[in-house]
Amino acid sequence: MNWKHAALAAALALVPLAAAAQANFAGKTVTIVVGYKPGGGYDATARMLARHLPNHLPGKPTLIVQNMPGGNSIIAANHMYNVAKPDGLTIGTFNRNLPIAQLTGVQGVKYDMTKFAWIGSAANETTILAIRNDLPYKSFDELRKAKENVIIGSTGPGANTHDFPLLLKDLLGVKLKIVSGYSSSADIMLAVERKEVDGRAGSYTSLRQFIDRGLVRPLIRARSTEAGVEKLPVDESFAQNPRAKAIMALRSAPEVVARPYVLPPGTSAEIVKVYRDAFAQTIRDPALVAEAEKAKFDLEYTSGDEALKVMREVLSQPKDVVDEFSKYIKFGE
Amino acid sequence: MLDAFIQGLLLVLQWKAFAFMLLGIGVGFWVGLLPGLGGATTLALMLPFVYNMQPVEAFAFLLGMHSVVATTGDVTSILFGVPGEATTAAIILDGHAMAKKGEAGRALGAALASSLVGALIGAAALALAIPVVRPLVLTFGSPELFMLAIVGLAFIASLSAQGARGMLRGFLAGGLGLFLAMVGQDPQAGIARFTLDSLYLWQGLDLVPVLVGLFAIPEILDLVVRGTSIAGDTPAGHISHGALQGVKDVFRHWWLTIRCALIGTFVGITPGLGGAVAQWMAYGHATQSARTPEERKGFGQGDVRGVLGPGAACNSKEGGALIPTIAFGVPGSTSMAILLGGFFLLGLVPGPDMLTKHLPVTFSLVWTIVLANIITVGLCFLLLNRLAALTAVPGHLLVPVILVLVFIGSYTTNSSYADILVTIIFGGVGYFMVLAGWPRAPLVLGLVLGKIAENYLYISVARYEAAWLARPVVLVLLAIAIGVVCYPAFQAWRARARASAHA
Amino acid sequence: MHSRASLALAIAIMLLAGWGTISALDWPWKAKLFPLVIGIPLFCLAAAEALWSAFGARGERQAAADFQLSTDQPREVIIRRTALAVTWIIGFFVLIMLVGFPLAVAILVFAYLKVQGKEGWLFSAVFTAVVWGCFYGLFDMLLHLPFPPGWLFTWFA
Repeated sequence: MNWKHAALAAALALVPLAAAAQANFAGKTVTIVVGYKPGGGYDATARMLARHLPNHLPGKPTLIVQNMPGGNSIIAANHMYNVAKPDGLTIGTFNRNLPIAQLTGVQGVKYDMTKFAWIGSAANETTILAIRNDLPYKSFDELRKAKENVIIGSTGPGANTHDFPLLLKDLLGVKLKIVSGYSSSADIMLAVERKEVDGRAGSYTSLRQFIDRGLVRPLIRARSTEAGVEKLPVDESFAQNPRAKAIMALRSAPEVVARPYVLPPGTSAEIVKVYRDAFAQTIRDPALVAEAEKAKFDLEYTSGDEALKVMREVLSQPKDVVDEFSKYIKFGE
Repeated sequence: MLDAFIQGLLLVLQWKAFAFMLLGIGVGFWVGLLPGLGGATTLALMLPFVYNMQPVEAFAFLLGMHSVVATTGDVTSILFGVPGEATTAAIILDGHAMAKKGEAGRALGAALASSLVGALIGAAALALAIPVVRPLVLTFGSPELFMLAIVGLAFIASLSAQGARGMLRGFLAGGLGLFLAMVGQDPQAGIARFTLDSLYLWQGLDLVPVLVGLFAIPEILDLVVRGTSIAGDTPAGHISHGALQGVKDVFRHWWLTIRCALIGTFVGITPGLGGAVAQWMAYGHATQSARTPEERKGFGQGDVRGVLGPGAACNSKEGGALIPTIAFGVPGSTSMAILLGGFFLLGLVPGPDMLTKHLPVTFSLVWTIVLANIITVGLCFLLLNRLAALTAVPGHLLVPVILVLVFIGSYTTNSSYADILVTIIFGGVGYFMVLAGWPRAPLVLGLVLGKIAENYLYISVARYEAAWLARPVVLVLLAIAIGVVCYPAFQAWRARARASAHA
Repeated sequence: MHSRASLALAIAIMLLAGWGTISALDWPWKAKLFPLVIGIPLFCLAAAEALWSAFGARGERQAAADFQLSTDQPREVIIRRTALAVTWIIGFFVLIMLVGFPLAVAILVFAYLKVQGKEGWLFSAVFTAVVWGCFYGLFDMLLHLPFPPGWLFTWFA
């Protein structure tokens, strides 16, 4: 049966060739599936990338953005995992907290974050806690010694406006009172203005203009960082025991991968490499950088390998940590 | 101040900015006409084009587009009974009823004229409010927002039918709306409530598929049953007449128009209440202007006041909605959040500076709203005959087109077949409600306000404990809510008293 | 007719409110407070309406401030045409799932004109082409709505 072996060998030899031919996108249309409705940060980043990514892909394909909202973008992730073809013509971007959903066993999750073909992340997110400037607490140490409750507004469980201060309160014993139910972080900001609440947690990007204006002052941040807040103390450094530290680390781990971009599982290595290279070049593209700066967007490149490492780290937590974690944190937003 | 006012106008009148505003109006015109496809979505889609424009042009483009969506949304609502926008559903009740009586021209005339008046009043209110904007917005804390939701819900009473039975049905429909508003993950404990284990319902029921089903499907069924055009046997030439009559109606009910415009502005200013409430509150208020029960019965059958009230509120809220965005850098809606991105492109950071240093820019926004509305309304009047004539097109040509638009419009919400399923289910609910003589308006109000009421009650209690009940604005709003609930009863009593006096 | 419809609606709401109230009982109090505060009165109101519809005096129709269905056709015609319209609507939905949005739109418009409207072939074809062109140009080419392929195609592919 020599001819059969020969055919097999020929077929095997053809595989990389076919892949190389496939990785030329001339005349093709590539779709970015976004797990949210138009209007939010994930959508805006995707639309910005869609304008610049084609210049770095072989054959300059047309990029279009499709919104597939619902289930805090679990629907989009399920689609990317189970339906989308691994031909390099569909990219997905979704909620950075999806590994948390997988970890805590949220109903309806039909994906495995570690099996996606990771392109990388376009931004990281720094969660900080900021309080009104007219309050007497100038640093986190002073806040820790506060006698009276400091009121923190939040949108609800699962959002960083809620989870970050919750851990500060429950694990570090900071006297915070969390008032949840605001429709959006913008609404909390108004509540800060009218002194209904004393402060809020959230991404540095969204809080920066209010810090610059002198309305609030940042006191503490989570592990992931970016220019402007590096000097703030990190929540984990105040943890009194390894368990508390692990929980805080777990909550903030996905923030390094705040704008995740993936290809469906099983995408050929050839295509993945093309995308990873193009993605890395795009985020450093001066045209994109200038545009992002104009729109007050922060873009930071995280490679696909690093992103995958974060996913593995999050999903390999021992059961007791996960159980403890689930007591505090619910998946959402 | 006056200086800034004029400078603002000059900013808009630069020819390039003006041209981009016209372009924006052109896009917004179509977006408004198409059901489901909302202003926010389109703004997001258009944002990439903005990068290549100069800042002032970008703003003229975005805001021009944004300000006309509601106006043309009214047109779809009136002509086909299909809500053109989630914010223009209330005008269907009487507007489409008029179209079916062959008065499409008059209804359109009234809607357009009142929305122009509304836009002007909204813009004027915005301009006048600038010195007091910050204290005004800050007066409304969570307890006040909760009470506003209650006032909104109190309008259910005036949106219901009359008599004990009518009230019962109104509150039933309202309660159903409140119940449906609880679908989705709750913001206190993070529990998925009433989601039937489906991811689709996790973030709650979306307004657009529900509204489209509730209002459009019964109209489609009725159109098929009648087997005629929308306007029935009315001779084609007659339909487009009466546009002038509609304009006159606005002036005949001048004070009502102004009051409804102010309601709209107020809803717009209040962040978090959402634009969809404005029209219903205005509609509820318009029904209160009926003096006798007989007059009251005319609502829903094509009373022009039911058109011009919501028409006025719909556009006046846009001016108001700009206020929190400008004065605090805090957007009141998705559209405004996207517009905020436009501010950054301008190199401006919205906030207190916008009311002092950058006042001309703020006024240029006001002017853009005003000019965009004047142009759109003018354009619509030119097209009015053609538009109204659509109601004379045979039903079997319209039905498939409307059906396609209804389905695709609801599908644009989440790009999920479940959107269409929701539309069909609520189509059934709407049909049965109409068949049984239940009002549909309270259901919508309940659905829109349910979440706000729950969240702000929790916030009020968590923040202030019982003390929130003693806040002065809360008490005033409570009095208004009681007044709104009792007004229909008072009207009925007065009518009876008058009748017995005559006897 | 309307009192039977009212009865059906009231019973449906009773079931819904009852189910909602019972399923809410297991939740933490912050999540269940509102469902109970709304669910229980809703159930009672619906029960009152159901009793009223079942045993109350018939006759005078209560008009809501809302539109009323046309009544100028004979009863059988109304029922037949309503059933027909419902079939079209549901059929369209099924068609969308089976063959995908773009094809379903063309088929629906054409079939409706031909079957329901009894229009000529040429007119139906042209009208369908125009509607489909607008639909496709706007929602597919311009807005990039995701239209999944029909189930028929995935079954047989």
